[in-house]
Amino acid sequence: MNLKNSYIVAVKDIKEVFSSISIYGPMIGVPLFFAVVLPFMSFYVAFYNAPYVAARIASLPTAPQYLRNLIGTTSFLDYFSINVLGPVFLTMPIITASVIAADSFSGEKERKTSEALLSTPIAKSDLLFGKMLASFVPTILLTLVVFAVYGSVINILSFNAFHEYVLPTTAWFMMIVTSPFLAVAAIGFVVMISAHVRGTKEAQQISTLLILPILTLPFISVLGIADLTASFFVYLTLGLFVLDVAVIYVSIKSFRKESIL
Amino acid sequence: MPVIEIRDLTKKFDKITALNAVTLNFNKGINIVLGPNGAGKSTLLRCISGLYRPDKGRISVFGRDPYVDDDLKMRLSFLSDNYALYDYLSVKDNLLFFGRLYGFDDALILKRVKSVLKELNAMDYLNAKVYTLSRGTKQKIAFCRAILNDPEVLLLDEPTAFLDVNASDSVREIITNYAKASRIIIFVTQRIDEIMRLEGRLTILNKGKVALRSSTSKIYNFITKDLEITVIFARPLAGSIAMDTPGFISGNSANPTLIKVRINSYKDINKVIKQLINNGAQIVSVHYIEPAIEKLFKKGSR
Repeated sequence: MNLKNSYIVAVKDIKEVFSSISIYGPMIGVPLFFAVVLPFMSFYVAFYNAPYVAARIASLPTAPQYLRNLIGTTSFLDYFSINVLGPVFLTMPIITASVIAADSFSGEKERKTSEALLSTPIAKSDLLFGKMLASFVPTILLTLVVFAVYGSVINILSFNAFHEYVLPTTAWFMMIVTSPFLAVAAIGFVVMISAHVRGTKEAQQISTLLILPILTLPFISVLGIADLTASFFVYLTLGLFVLDVAVIYVSIKSFRKESIL
Repeated sequence: MPVIEIRDLTKKFDKITALNAVTLNFNKGINIVLGPNGAGKSTLLRCISGLYRPDKGRISVFGRDPYVDDDLKMRLSFLSDNYALYDYLSVKDNLLFFGRLYGFDDALILKRVKSVLKELNAMDYLNAKVYTLSRGTKQKIAFCRAILNDPEVLLLDEPTAFLDVNASDSVREIITNYAKASRIIIFVTQRIDEIMRLEGRLTILNKGKVALRSSTSKIYNFITKDLEITVIFARPLAGSIAMDTPGFISGNSANPTLIKVRINSYKDINKVIKQLINNGAQIVSVHYIEPAIEKLFKKGSR
């Protein structure tokens, strides 16, 4: 394997993504917007006791008793930032990785640049690894930034209201650890899908279906089915690791040069 | 032994057979592949370049299979009919990217790039983003990319289609020089006028099959068979001289400045011109209407 060629492809792809604000603007802007706005919303519930919202949560027959007791305390902020906001931010690595990977694989096909690329002496494995790297690196960097922003906003709000910091917690750290595994799964799915779809949009739409299981986590938590603790994220990460190995194996096996022609 | 050997090559796309049991050889020099839309020309190039896996048959380039042998691509280059450049990158970044994949250092890549772009009068665009360029300029940059690795086999799909006259001439000159250096050029086109500007072997493809193998010089026999030419004079010609011209069809007046003549071979043009000059005619130009490409295939298949 020629890692230099993979690096050349990755640098080209990243440069392409960040060459136009119309491409990277929404990709960065939307997560950062949510990283600020969503913590403010949770702060509103926790600090002002938001009677209407709190009452709705407390009135849920399945809502755990401890949740009802938490409203208006730092513990609620802690609970909300992990169990409700956390899964929302866990969708960021999936969405970002899907957008970049779909553009990287199906985009070559759509723009017909793959003919020139595949006419060079680059091996299939080097090309595949380079393109995965190009999707993975910006995704992880953006995820770290988003978690840092959302963690900071939560802490600022918490300190101003309760004179104490809520984050970081072990569960919060474990969520960050989970992110790369979600990104790899998303990239693997895009590689598999790109062999069977014509354009970027189809690849993105199909691959972002991966966010659906993640979006069920806040409901699972609020309904008391599971608590998103550190150990929960350890098990989730292990499960994702197995999924990643399987998806990457299948995507490498199924990837043919013609799939991006 | 031919450098490029194609045996019984068949390539299908769903129910469409793009190439049907094609057997061909290509050797050093210029090889022109002519055919109308859908003849299978571009598919043939993509198979030779290793982009497509043949459904049936075998392709050998320097004795190796281009589909599985990535190292062979160091010696090949393919210019497709679209420019295949990254729109949001600059010309320089595009060319550096492709050059690096061939293992060249940046200094060597830029040296080659500058030399070719100067020749194609496109040096001013080195730092421009590709999407800002005209179609013709993009094609010049794509051509530059195609010869970046100094290939032994150069596969060109309509390389002059969007170029102006000067740039087309420059491209043809580069191609001719490549051929003189014992390289193999496969030049695909659907324009008959293009083949008259290049000296080389000619393959005509039609409906996925080889319709004719000839040379560009011999192809004039087909093109000029039963053809109407127009001769234009500086001064009016005597009516009797005009009517005495072999194959005379009509003139634009009793003492014409323009006559139409039917010929059966390109050799007849010399006879007509010689007789007219001997009779004192002052010839300005000779024109003929290029036959439709389909007519050429009908002639070729006879």
